[in-house]
Amino acid sequence: MIKSNSEKREKIDWLFKQLFKFTGFATIALLGGIFLMLIYNSISFFANVSPIDFFTGSQWDPGSATSKYSIIPLLASTGLVAIGSMLIAVPLGIFTAAFLSELAPKKLQTFLKPVIEMLAAIPSVAIGFLGIVLVGPGIAKIFGIENGLNALNGSVLLAVMALPTIITISEDAINAVPKSHREASFALGANKWETMFQVTLPAALPGLIAAVLLGLGRALGETMTVLMATGNASVLPEGFLDSIRTITATIAIEMGEVPYQTTHYYALFAIAAVLFMITLLINFLGEYFANRLRKFHA
Amino acid sequence: MKKKILYIFNWILLTGSTVIVTLFLGVILFDIFSKGLSSVSWSFISKFPGNGMTTGGILPAIIGTFLLTIVTTLFAVPFGVTCAIYLNEYAKPSLLTNIIRASIRNLAGIPSIIYGLFGLALFVQSLRMGTSVLSAGLTLGLLSLPYIITTTEEALKRIPNSMREATLALGATQFETIRDVVLPKSLPGILTGVILTLSRAAGETAPILFTGVAFYINTLTASLNQEFMALPYHLYMLSTQHNSIETVRPLAYGTSVVLILLVFTMNIVAFYIRFKHRTQE
Amino acid sequence: MKWCFAGLLLLFVSCSNDEKSIKIKGSDTEVNLAVVVAESFHIHKPEISVSISGGGSGLGIASLLNGTADIANSSRRIKEEEMQLFQKKGIRIDSFVFAQDAIAFVISDELPIDSISIQHLSAILKGSYRNWKALTGIDKPINIYGRQSNSGTYDFVKEILGIEFTPYAKQMNGNAQILEAIKADHSGIGYVGSGYVTKDSGNGLKVLSIYSDNHPHAVSPLNREMIAAGKYYFQRPLFQYYKSSSFLKIKPFLDFEKTKEGQLIIQSSGYYPIL
Repeated sequence: MIKSNSEKREKIDWLFKQLFKFTGFATIALLGGIFLMLIYNSISFFANVSPIDFFTGSQWDPGSATSKYSIIPLLASTGLVAIGSMLIAVPLGIFTAAFLSELAPKKLQTFLKPVIEMLAAIPSVAIGFLGIVLVGPGIAKIFGIENGLNALNGSVLLAVMALPTIITISEDAINAVPKSHREASFALGANKWETMFQVTLPAALPGLIAAVLLGLGRALGETMTVLMATGNASVLPEGFLDSIRTITATIAIEMGEVPYQTTHYYALFAIAAVLFMITLLINFLGEYFANRLRKFHA
Repeated sequence: MKKKILYIFNWILLTGSTVIVTLFLGVILFDIFSKGLSSVSWSFISKFPGNGMTTGGILPAIIGTFLLTIVTTLFAVPFGVTCAIYLNEYAKPSLLTNIIRASIRNLAGIPSIIYGLFGLALFVQSLRMGTSVLSAGLTLGLLSLPYIITTTEEALKRIPNSMREATLALGATQFETIRDVVLPKSLPGILTGVILTLSRAAGETAPILFTGVAFYINTLTASLNQEFMALPYHLYMLSTQHNSIETVRPLAYGTSVVLILLVFTMNIVAFYIRFKHRTQE
Repeated sequence: MKWCFAGLLLLFVSCSNDEKSIKIKGSDTEVNLAVVVAESFHIHKPEISVSISGGGSGLGIASLLNGTADIANSSRRIKEEEMQLFQKKGIRIDSFVFAQDAIAFVISDELPIDSISIQHLSAILKGSYRNWKALTGIDKPINIYGRQSNSGTYDFVKEILGIEFTPYAKQMNGNAQILEAIKADHSGIGYVGSGYVTKDSGNGLKVLSIYSDNHPHAVSPLNREMIAAGKYYFQRPLFQYYKSSSFLKIKPFLDFEKTKEGQLIIQSSGYYPIL
């Protein structure tokens, strides 16, 4: 009796182990499928369009009689708006993180942390909506231009969205710098600011780089905000006051209109694959730096 | 003297940055709530849109988002949690599991629109589910998986190994240990991660764009292979696609109030669970 | 955990047949009209669920081809290459014209012109004229607010004028965004379906009348009689394409559009009844 009971338990144990193993691998296979799907469809695209045209041309115009598939204007748009957002978000984010960990009293910290978490929780379409009704018109007024739906608008909004990521990771990085570093610096006669700029922040540098990279990854991959707020003109942008059209927005606009299994359809997977590679590279780099910080302080 | 100026300058730099970041949230919430609260009423959340979506409420969008989240939960939670259990409890640390973990973390950073493409290729086309609540919910489920796996694994890691060893020493099988000790103990942590992930999924728009969301539907979504309306897409549509954007501005503001309140409520519930759990320990 | 799996299974099983739901997709020009029609249709046939999406005529026809729509709203005739795709897949389609539309060219009311010739219009949209000076005497750059390539309106204008748009034309998401942009931009020009200007015209906007060598009298797209006589240059039928095999499923909706009530809704939305 006892034996059969324990046999049954053993069996259940074995069964569930297999079940966990199976679902675990199924999940991983499913996620790996994303990669394969992108590659497979991109290959179909490059069977029709030469990669040289794709990476060197200057026009994305699949609708015209002579379809032009060049990723360059889209890539330039994506880069411009993301770099713009980093110019705003990086200093703000790192200084805020420094404030949180070095200056803010405990009480203020317990108020500011939820603020940052709430900022992260706001859905991207709500931010894009504000780009249309608030930030865009504001930019138009400040620069005396007729329409504020441009790269600058997108950059400001993406900065807001990337800030929580940058602040949280930077703060962790600064907090991870051992107290002894600071104490040594004070002992040498350095004041609070000299210690912060010459000792603490440089020691936290790998973590700060990781923060910036992960924030950048977030800005590069954002769809709705740029789709709503940047005007969507697929020409090479000349400045921040030009309308732009990012890779993500192009996919969002054109995916619905294409018949399945046509060159245009594959083209959208190809630009998605490029975006995928870029974000993957940036995330890997970010992780590399985050690990270096961990090793450094271990 | 020079030092003092530097001192003040630095102080302004740091404090100013923080004030600006706080102001961002303040401006966002103030603008949306000051202009949107007046549109929110019982009839706004309980009625269908009327007169070509220029009057009336957003009931079908609320129901749609709700249904979508249910499908997402039913798909992502069991798969995500079991995958995390496998990784943390069964898989032996090896190069392979490390690669798997790294890929899962990186999948969390992939743009959501790419999940939309995958959902379109897999669910809508290959599995012939069409554009439907089911396709869109499963797509959002895929998007949620990496987050759920990571947060669940973190929650499982917080259970000390001594607890597992004690139960195993008492003669329990590994499955019984997981069922009776590990899971109950880590439940609050898992729950927090799940709710936070779902609140993200409920606010997503890009992955549902081509997997089933519609501008307008004249009945409530009743079956899973129907198209649906969703709150975030409704806001996108009202602010960029509608034929009299100006007239429906108040509706757009009202929709964003409801959407933000929904997401914040889910966040607060998650934080409450985490807070209660931490104070109990 | 067990319950989750059971629930998931239940979900898959509970997919009922989709005979009672009609998916309509396509033309941004027709989408609001379709919504108003569907609202009234619901009162007559509450058991049939109608879901409607916009996004452009190209999107509608592609969705019909891809099997994700039952009716494709299109503000242009189906293209030869699209027809070939349907034939390749062995799908037979039919069409139904349910209303007429006139495309209005819209500028800010600060520009001192009321009418424009199609030659000048082509030159502007091609990008040969990049400043208002030659036409109006006001030295301001011309900003073009157009539609994306998936728009039937975009295709219609391109084809009837026989031009390619300048790449500097901004590609807006929909008719409504064009109007809003031109309200803000005093040197902008854009094109929208007539249904969009009847309600919103006045505040800062001006609808241009169009003339040509053959019709030297400028005609406004808001002029009912001239459109009934077919005299406006940019007037076009609004199509609904559907698969012949699904005709029975969508028939109730098409029938409703043909009724007096349906046609009345079309007129009150700013479009013109079938000729």
